[in-house]
Amino acid sequence: AAGARGGAKVVVEPHRHAGVFVARSKEDMLVTKNLSPGESVYGEKRISVDTPSTDADGAPTKTEYRVWNPFRSKLAAGILGGLDDIFIQPGAKVLYLGAASGTSVSHVADIVGPTGNVYAVEFSHRSGRDLINMAKKRTNVIPIIEDARHPLKYRMLIGMVDAVFADVAQPDQARIVGLNCHLFLKDKGGVLVSVKANCIDSTAAPEAVFAREVQKMREERIKPLEQLTLEPFERDHCMVVGRYLRSQS
Amino acid sequence: MAAVDYLLQETSVGYGLYQVVQQPDTIGNRLKEVQEATQDLARFGKMIKLVSFAPFQGAAQALENANDISEGIANDHLKALLEINLPKGGGGKRVVLGISDKNLASSIKAAFSSVDCETNDVVQDLLRGLRLWAPKLLKQLQDGDMDRAQLGLGHAYSRAKVKFSVQKNDNHII
Repeated sequence: AAGARGGAKVVVEPHRHAGVFVARSKEDMLVTKNLSPGESVYGEKRISVDTPSTDADGAPTKTEYRVWNPFRSKLAAGILGGLDDIFIQPGAKVLYLGAASGTSVSHVADIVGPTGNVYAVEFSHRSGRDLINMAKKRTNVIPIIEDARHPLKYRMLIGMVDAVFADVAQPDQARIVGLNCHLFLKDKGGVLVSVKANCIDSTAAPEAVFAREVQKMREERIKPLEQLTLEPFERDHCMVVGRYLRSQS
Repeated sequence: MAAVDYLLQETSVGYGLYQVVQQPDTIGNRLKEVQEATQDLARFGKMIKLVSFAPFQGAAQALENANDISEGIANDHLKALLEINLPKGGGGKRVVLGISDKNLASSIKAAFSSVDCETNDVVQDLLRGLRLWAPKLLKQLQDGDMDRAQLGLGHAYSRAKVKFSVQKNDNHII
């Protein structure tokens, strides 16, 4: 796999979703444009590609991309699974609940780029340390070490956002997402929720759990748009995408 | 329901106090037309009027206030803003202040006997409008000031959380 860094044969093409790219070599890889070139965040591979200069006789410039592993990131798994709309795009402001150590967050930060913002909420102090360190290198990431159940506690740190992404794996996650949307998400903004059936109810069938979660999101004024299984990357997981409708339809 | 007279906005750069000029509908609150009014700056700008903005004097003061707000405590900086700008409750006249947090309500009531706090849905919608248009409504702010303040405050707030945690391990929540 180290061959991917050889560089000569790799071609990077834009993905259907703005800000996401595909590196084509022996095998195709999902990549994002590295916001702090020269550094990996969690040991992921980097690919450097020559971009022809815009001047006629100028030297080509290097652009660095980081490989995004769908087995490690549910958003990457969702993108490879063919999500219709991810609402996360260059310039967007994203509220990320359940940021953990910030590995996936770093890719989201790459996507939204310098004009966007990622508000990364994580309650665990242990992963919070890593998250803060990652955010030092990416100034569009605002780390928030606080319980996503109590969004009022961090209301001073956040503005209005275009999208909410949640990977909190809690039984009451639909409520957590709802509370945060009511406070911070723009009307008609996007909601992406990763649902791990086991974390909600380990006794019921995954399909039944997913259906119940979608219903709970409806009650929080989130209109479901699509539901996608994260197979083969994760077992009994699905990604639910919806649109927040503040007004009654 | 009593009409809302004032709104309190808490941001990373300071506190904003707004007067509600045009009372919003309480009944059609979730109707499309009413919701769209908040999203249109021209229309929303006519519903509220900035009374005063109390910026933080530095990162330390901002952090102190962020911590207090998170715990529902009315900081002296906030009390000073309300003291100066809210009308004095002479002759039993009461003022209704719309805020986002019930915990803060009790702290404000304890300090100002003539102020009633309101946190209902109508208030929340107005506060959403303030959050959405904050960089435009606070005219003394430069482009990007709010983002920079959020970044600095987020780091300071989170660093303090991690640093002062007694247990080095995770808090397990079910």
